[in-house]
Amino acid sequence: MKLKRFLLRYYPPGIILEYETGGALKTKSIDLLDLSPETDIEELISEIRKSEPLITASRINQVKLLILRLKDKLSQQNDHRFYLFKELQAHILPLTNVVFNKSGSSFITGSYDRTCKVWDTASCEELHTLEGHRNVVYAIAFNNPYGDKIATGSFDKTCKLWSAETGKCFHTFRGHAAEIVCLAFNPQSTLLATGSMDTTAKLWDIQTGEEVATLTGHSGEIISLSFNTVGDQLVTGSFDHTISLWDVSSGSRRVHTLIGHRGEISSVQFNWDCSYIISGSMDKTCKVWESASGKCMATLAGPKDEVLDVCFDSTGHFIATASADGTAWVYSAASYQCVARLEGHDGEISKICFNPQGSRILTASVDKTARLWDVQSGVCLQVLDGHKDEIFSAAFNYEGDTIITGSKDNTCHIWR
Amino acid sequence: MGLLSILRKLKSTPDQEVRILLLGLDNGGKTTLLKQLASEDISHITPTQGFNIKSVQSQGFKLNVWDIGGQRKIRPYWRNYFENTDVLIYVIDSADRKRFEETGQELAELLDEEKLSGVPVLVFANKQDLLTAAPASEIAEGLNLHTIRDRAWQIQSCSALTGEGVQDGMNWVCKSVNAKKK
Repeated sequence: MKLKRFLLRYYPPGIILEYETGGALKTKSIDLLDLSPETDIEELISEIRKSEPLITASRINQVKLLILRLKDKLSQQNDHRFYLFKELQAHILPLTNVVFNKSGSSFITGSYDRTCKVWDTASCEELHTLEGHRNVVYAIAFNNPYGDKIATGSFDKTCKLWSAETGKCFHTFRGHAAEIVCLAFNPQSTLLATGSMDTTAKLWDIQTGEEVATLTGHSGEIISLSFNTVGDQLVTGSFDHTISLWDVSSGSRRVHTLIGHRGEISSVQFNWDCSYIISGSMDKTCKVWESASGKCMATLAGPKDEVLDVCFDSTGHFIATASADGTAWVYSAASYQCVARLEGHDGEISKICFNPQGSRILTASVDKTARLWDVQSGVCLQVLDGHKDEIFSAAFNYEGDTIITGSKDNTCHIWR
Repeated sequence: MGLLSILRKLKSTPDQEVRILLLGLDNGGKTTLLKQLASEDISHITPTQGFNIKSVQSQGFKLNVWDIGGQRKIRPYWRNYFENTDVLIYVIDSADRKRFEETGQELAELLDEEKLSGVPVLVFANKQDLLTAAPASEIAEGLNLHTIRDRAWQIQSCSALTGEGVQDGMNWVCKSVNAKKK
């Protein structure tokens, strides 16, 4: 094994090692999820040396510089004020979802008008209209970090794979018996997972366009799914009140069924190091599960109504939940204690996410506003006001300095 | 009503829930009718650029009513909403005689849709509060409603503005759902 070069990853902090083994180029990452501006560098380096044979004495200074750069990034003050940069008359019918590519250079919008559009973030120009679906385009995704492909899942029961560069359709995946409502690329961008109202999830080969597996076992609609960071496991959440954990590498076996919620599941996600899964449910709680054992570690209660969305921050230190009662909650992933309660929305919150730095939370609500919150204090920093109808989706770019919101009012707003 | 609630309303409904599709040309009064049903303020209604969904309780049923915009450019998208429809309500502006032909054509096309086959249809002859409104009997004749054989149908004169006739129409809706679910 020979180390070729280092790559830096800001969010979550980490150093990627590119190395050669048996003539092939490979990468592995050293995750520095606990890095803070106060971290003792010498101590950290000696720890890294112990666990990573590729880091030899001659490389120490290089690694030290990289960690310094990460620390610099972490200590940057973030007091960015967002303003409405552009209102895009994006579609002729309501939007469903909005998603950035990894670099944030472009983003996509899905709509009830059966199209998905690709936009250039800087110029706000429409680059492509992805046409071909015969019903609502509901779920959309970039194959991040690459960003050269786009997947669209539709109420027409099909999923399509497109070139992000040319807008050409590579494949149409047929096989689901009902609406496709969630989808995700695996991190290697070799597989696409789709979840459907037909109670199954399917895995598709990106290259050949063939179906690889059908994941059966749920008795209700699959409403949310997500790969872990490594890409060997997939988690699915269903209206049948359960969550399933699937081993994707070995013939798509169901590893665990996570039972405990007393209502439909709304959202599921892994943390970065793949050790935990969180799930939001109509039973007004969020549960934390250990992926290895499938055991429920904690039930995060508080909201007075259904939990509609849940997410980890990029390092996995915090959990945020959004509720139909108009409140959002932030919990420590270590102690499961509530850190902050975000109050102010005048109606249900349908989407919640952290900025990549983990210092801010963005919420989207039926009250026609999106709001920006400080994670530590729970203070509302900004109300992003301007949409004329409910906001269905909202997202940060990777830098955390641009926000897009998609609304039932057929427009997409870009905030900078 | 976020995206998730829309998904929940999308799935095939349990026995006590009814999915109602509200269609018709633009400016026919669909949204006013929807708000009247939900007992909401009807003083500020603008053309629907997408859709509105409301749930109302009636005779032991939960009626999930989908009001879809009727402008010409978005009519092709009506079929997005056909799945799992229990009853179709078609709203006509009874005073807009110039568009009777157009509205008749749209209705005929809807009745030909495979996904709506056998779905009971209620035609609301709306805006009866206007002096120039055509009576329901004249509209029924103009639309050849009497030739419909493949489903239950009914025409009901109403005013979404005053609420007159609306409840009578909804009573028919519940009756026909009862008949269908038995």
